[in-house]
Amino acid sequence: MNCFARTVKSGIALLLPGLAWFMVNTSGEEVGDWWGTAERERAYYRLVNLPIPQGLIVEAGAFVTLPDNRIAVGTRRGDIYLLGQVDEAKPTPSFELFATGLDEIFGLAYRDGAFYVTQSCELTRVTDRSGDGRADKFETISDTWGYANYHEYAFGSKFDPDGNLYVALGLSSSYHSRALFRGWAMKVTPEGRTIPIASGLRSPGGIGPNEHGALFYIESQGPWNSSCSLKFLKPGGFMGHPVSFNWYNYAPHLKEPAKPESGTRIVSEKEKVKELVPYAVVFPYIRMGRSITGYVVNRTAGKFGPFENQIFIGDYTQSLIMRATTELVNGVWQGACYPFREGLSTGILNVQFTPEGNLLCGGTNRGWPVRGIKPFALERLDWTGRMPFEIKRVSIIPNGFKINFTKPVDATTGNDPNNYRVSTFTHIYHSGYGGPEVDKSIPNVLVAKLSADGLHATIRLDQLTKGHVHEFDLGALRSRERDELLHRNAYYTVNEIPEG
Amino acid sequence: MSSFCTLPYLRFGLIGIFLSSTILSIFPIHATPLIPGLGGKHPLDERGIGEVLLGELRCGACHADEYSQDFHRQGAPDLISVGQRLSPEYLRRFLADPVRVQPGVKMPDLLAGQSTMKRSEVADALTHFLVSLSGSPIVAKPNPGNARAGRILFHDIGCVACHSAQLGNGSKEVADGLLPLAHVPIKYDHHSLSGFLFNPHQARPSGRMPDFYLSGDESRDLAEYLMGGKSPSVKPFKVSAELVDKGRAYFREFNCVACHSLDREPPARQSLPLTKLNPSRGCLSTKPKDAPDYNLSDIQRKAIARALTSSRSRLSAGDAIAHSLTAFNCIACHARDDYGGPSKEFLPHLKTSEQGLGNQAKIPPGLTLAGAKLKPGWMHKVLFDGESARPYMHTRMPGFGEANLGFLPALLAGVDKVEIAEFPEPGRKERGSIRSAGHKLIGDKGLNCITCHNFNGKESPGFKGMDLLTSYDRLQPAWYYHFMRNPAKYRPGIVMPNYWAGSKGARGDILGGDTDAQVWAIWHYFSYGQGAPTPSGIHNPGSNIEVGGVVRTYRGRSRIAGYRGIAVGFPGGLNYAFDAATGTLSGIWRGDFVSVGWGGQGAGSFNPRSRSINLPRDVSFLQRFDEKEKWPLLPVMTKENPVNPDPLYPRNLGYRFLGYAFDDAFVPTFSYRCGDVGIEDVSVAGEKDGHALLKRTLKFVAPAAQTLHFRVIAGKVEAVSDTHYKTPDLKLKLPVTTTILRRPLGADPALRELILKLDLPKGETRLLIDYELLR
Repeated sequence: MNCFARTVKSGIALLLPGLAWFMVNTSGEEVGDWWGTAERERAYYRLVNLPIPQGLIVEAGAFVTLPDNRIAVGTRRGDIYLLGQVDEAKPTPSFELFATGLDEIFGLAYRDGAFYVTQSCELTRVTDRSGDGRADKFETISDTWGYANYHEYAFGSKFDPDGNLYVALGLSSSYHSRALFRGWAMKVTPEGRTIPIASGLRSPGGIGPNEHGALFYIESQGPWNSSCSLKFLKPGGFMGHPVSFNWYNYAPHLKEPAKPESGTRIVSEKEKVKELVPYAVVFPYIRMGRSITGYVVNRTAGKFGPFENQIFIGDYTQSLIMRATTELVNGVWQGACYPFREGLSTGILNVQFTPEGNLLCGGTNRGWPVRGIKPFALERLDWTGRMPFEIKRVSIIPNGFKINFTKPVDATTGNDPNNYRVSTFTHIYHSGYGGPEVDKSIPNVLVAKLSADGLHATIRLDQLTKGHVHEFDLGALRSRERDELLHRNAYYTVNEIPEG
Repeated sequence: MSSFCTLPYLRFGLIGIFLSSTILSIFPIHATPLIPGLGGKHPLDERGIGEVLLGELRCGACHADEYSQDFHRQGAPDLISVGQRLSPEYLRRFLADPVRVQPGVKMPDLLAGQSTMKRSEVADALTHFLVSLSGSPIVAKPNPGNARAGRILFHDIGCVACHSAQLGNGSKEVADGLLPLAHVPIKYDHHSLSGFLFNPHQARPSGRMPDFYLSGDESRDLAEYLMGGKSPSVKPFKVSAELVDKGRAYFREFNCVACHSLDREPPARQSLPLTKLNPSRGCLSTKPKDAPDYNLSDIQRKAIARALTSSRSRLSAGDAIAHSLTAFNCIACHARDDYGGPSKEFLPHLKTSEQGLGNQAKIPPGLTLAGAKLKPGWMHKVLFDGESARPYMHTRMPGFGEANLGFLPALLAGVDKVEIAEFPEPGRKERGSIRSAGHKLIGDKGLNCITCHNFNGKESPGFKGMDLLTSYDRLQPAWYYHFMRNPAKYRPGIVMPNYWAGSKGARGDILGGDTDAQVWAIWHYFSYGQGAPTPSGIHNPGSNIEVGGVVRTYRGRSRIAGYRGIAVGFPGGLNYAFDAATGTLSGIWRGDFVSVGWGGQGAGSFNPRSRSINLPRDVSFLQRFDEKEKWPLLPVMTKENPVNPDPLYPRNLGYRFLGYAFDDAFVPTFSYRCGDVGIEDVSVAGEKDGHALLKRTLKFVAPAAQTLHFRVIAGKVEAVSDTHYKTPDLKLKLPVTTTILRRPLGADPALRELILKLDLPKGETRLLIDYELLR
């Protein structure tokens, strides 16, 4: 299913953050087929439509939960709606228009009675001074970036513990950096200072902390990125796409990195370009989404099932939700991604946990290929309370991996190394658009040892390869109740191997 | 399996004993249990009818056996909340004599053979017990809805598939086998009824009353209609602890828990399994005594007896489908094979907003081969998630609950088969051209499918038929192929022409006219999903923003205000644009406000809907300015030099945008700075001599006395007086101040720029400028 090396033959190549490409007029692009697991997934995670009143167009781009448990939705059309009663079993949420007339909202935070809205043109503090329920003051907190070209989207974070906000800026027309700091990430301090912190972004689709509180962002497949990925936004780091180096003169506190060489591998290139930050979690293109977007960490204290403290992330093209976990190994972030739930009704641009611990998912299908068939939608994923048999988490150990499960694995299948199929690949690190999976290998699983409680297994491999995505197919495993895994695959990106 | 079978014996009698209440007097009484599906065009023989009755009457609750069918599983109404749903008085009457109070009800009379006094005593105690379960009894609450809207809903969305419709003269149609609703006004109040209609499965988990996905307003409207304009009849009710205890004892004595499970109640007592029952005794005797009385007709008894005496076994998949479709009355709307479909009474209530598409746009689709037609994911969404691909059809596909019908998709998929169709996967090289052919075939330069179909959420210029882009997600490819080859075979009466009956397609110039190639080309084109390029003949709708009664402010990129543009529109039709990147008034126009680019990828860029008077977008204010020097102009990016050569242009000149605030009328005041001078900039609409006037007020706050230069306008400017200046489109009125009208350095000799030299004292200074539009 991997699709690579499409060349733009005619028309205009158009890209959205988190989105790959398609061509206007007479061509189009694959959106990829479903995983085919929706019918089984629905027994564990129910998809509930949140009806949008007739006449409203709510193309959700950002969410934030308010102290009174309402959820604010910022939209591509520049509106902010306040939604009440989102958690009812059969929801008919109230929609109150709080603000309108803003410019494509892809970031929404809230503090002390004020919204902090990342719109394409600026980061804005939005308040209702009169108390009539409508915004009436829009204060520019930061506009210290250029905004003058097509496709220059801006994605904003929530507040970090120190009160900072972060903005990830997409490139100009998707390929260039023609306006100030396009392709950079900016930190906006509580005092209103805007500090460039990292270059090399291509087409971000979301920005925020990982489950450990480190700042990450979503990168999209394209030049220098052969798949979508989660990346650690290292202060002073270079995120891989060198076209934005032209603005280092405007960030004198940072040192311009050496230019990376196209056609290499990131694992070798990061040794030469010290600032280069490798992809923490690669989402194999098409198999794990095609345009990954907003994400959120599950802190629902078990209300959303067994995946506490994990990242939940949407995909625009394929209208699905995935999971991810990360860990710090030898000072470098890396981790795994997992299929979770497909069959949503529109292209997912962002996700947010509701006060009752359900996952609110929203977006639109406007402008780019999308599998779901609704022009826009708000949907809620509710855990039904049934425990799915899933790969809960994959983490690395010196000679292999530790794999946690949500339900006990039966000893017969779980102790058999043949039931742990692992293969690896990496991508070419290059300036071309996307890229194939290369340098494939199939390591031997030498030992598989299931814990006494059946909830985790450790596997020892004859080799671990740095820079490679390690793909797991555990379809042969069975739970003690003889369940098949709901999703048999997981994908772990190995940047570093821990010491023995 | 027999062919169509109507059951006149299910008609309830019209002669009977009337209760004293005037409301109850309208009921026909002694109606046998009504199963709407059995009154329709079902395919069941006597044994099949008996099987359905065994399930619908919950016989297995007391007489469990190993042959319980999937469609037999159904929960009785929830009793935990019954006290908050129903009038206690109604409950009491109903429990004392269910058949008389709610003719056709499936709940049996559990007090058969008891004296009138005993009936009354038991019903009273049970009522106290049941009301006590919900903590507090129902309190009548107003919940006003629109009865007229409710009436339309009732008749349009499908309620009349199971319930009697009301004729234009207000009387009810007398329809066989339909459930009466005359008891509703004494059973509920408006609030509890609308709550029930909003989420019927909460109270009745069996799904026999399906969920029509009503909104809150719709629920209220429908409740208002069904209450018939009557005021709530709920009277205050005080629960007696003594009667609660007695009621609990009766609840156990009469084995109510067999159907109505309650926590903390002991499990139900089981009686003989169905296979051991004597069909002429107990509940099945003609006059049950000391056994539940279902008020069965002779024919119902006979059907049940046939089912009981036939060799008990699991039904085949095909029979289980037929039984299920009958039990849930799917056949009221849907035909399958040679059974089901709307009755002649129901047909007039099936409506569409697209008359031109014929009956196919009104009548819910047939279920013949449904398991081969729909992809499992879509079938689940339609059955259980309220999805629909037919927005023009007024009848709604309701939800029966996944817990009740979750077994059906697999049954249909197992039974329904179409001939396998080879689905060639094009190679990478051919894929583009094949899809282009599909794109062409769909559009108005091809077969013009879009004249009857919407596409990707965009409306057809003709009939607004089913959105073609849903096809790939809904349909299985083999069924799609056979349907395209012969639409009328799969949907009799469809208005869609048959383009591919033979081996040659309708358009010989596309893919050589090869039928299969054309059919698959369209399928591959659909497989793009929402990224499929729009076919010729479908247009992106424009999006206009109307001002209405209050001032509108809209941010977005614009050719007249730059990427950080802001448009402001006043009621009355005066509009202006402000470039927040440089702090300039950059355009003024009369007429409609703006159109915005929200089609496709459109980021919402705005365009004035009439010709704008455009003003330069260079910074307007400078703290330090040598009048001999050129006014610093906005950097220009070109195709050849696309990178901004001076990215800090406004910032290095002291400009900083601070935002804006609305007053009570939503008029924005823009705030920005030039160095340490704060500027507040507000404009309002006015009129002078029939000309539109933008009245702009600038407030400066200077921390120290200083001079600020303000470039008001540039272009073909001429002085009319010391305070009046003109361009071909505008007349400006300024206060008395020092002005410089000069030819910009290096500019066309005809051009001038007007610069004000503002000597600001420490503190606040105001400056008023009128912009009079001359056209």
